[in-house]
Amino acid sequence: MVKFLKPNKAVIVLQGRFAGRKAVIVKNFDDGTRDRPYGHCLVAGISKYPKKVIRKDSAKKTAKKSRVKAFVKVVNYNHIMPTRYTLDVDLKDAITGDALESRDKKVTACKEIKARFEERFKTGKNRWFFSKLRF
Amino acid sequence: MVSTKKTKKTHESINNRLALVMKSGKYTLGYKTVLRTLRSSKAKLIIIANNCPPLRKSEIEYYAMLAKVGVHHFNGNNVDLGTACGKYYRVCCLSIIDPGDSDIIKSMPGEQ
Repeated sequence: MVKFLKPNKAVIVLQGRFAGRKAVIVKNFDDGTRDRPYGHCLVAGISKYPKKVIRKDSAKKTAKKSRVKAFVKVVNYNHIMPTRYTLDVDLKDAITGDALESRDKKVTACKEIKARFEERFKTGKNRWFFSKLRF
Repeated sequence: MVSTKKTKKTHESINNRLALVMKSGKYTLGYKTVLRTLRSSKAKLIIIANNCPPLRKSEIEYYAMLAKVGVHHFNGNNVDLGTACGKYYRVCCLSIIDPGDSDIIKSMPGEQ
């Protein structure tokens, strides 16, 4: 009775190349579009998780271990598993409407998302989102 | 002895209420449509058979928790649930969208 597939919801991608990765919903298309006549959403997720940083690491090593690789994808609702977590990162201006049209636009969008994810990871919040899902 | 009699009576009342929903309300049967109604927040109550695979049961319960929808664990397997719905096939899970004349939504979560 409560809509839970909203922007900023953390989800887990279940199918495809990024299966098992955590992502955050950026935009919903509940009723589908002409090209995709099913409920789907635009997600931004983590393709490569940041590695575990320990106190012994030098500053250079910490910087290298905290790197995140991001992806942008349009997924069917059937291929994601929503979770109870949210990630309050503003990604709407990073991903414009045409981000998925050409490859270089996608790459620039991913770079922007990567920067936002990395700065959020460095604050230490949303620890669940940046940890790898073990399965 | 008293408790078994009570569960039999409430079990029959669930079946009666379900029959009334089948006649007068809106519902969907089956796992895929149950998830679809939960995602679109149309579901009012979910009923799961007792021999539903535990992973699927947990998944439906998690979705229902996110959507704040009640889940009722039916006291019978998918064959019994199909019969209770008046169908000649097995039903593992069903979602009630509109109860019609029935009071299943008001009474079931209270008994849970």
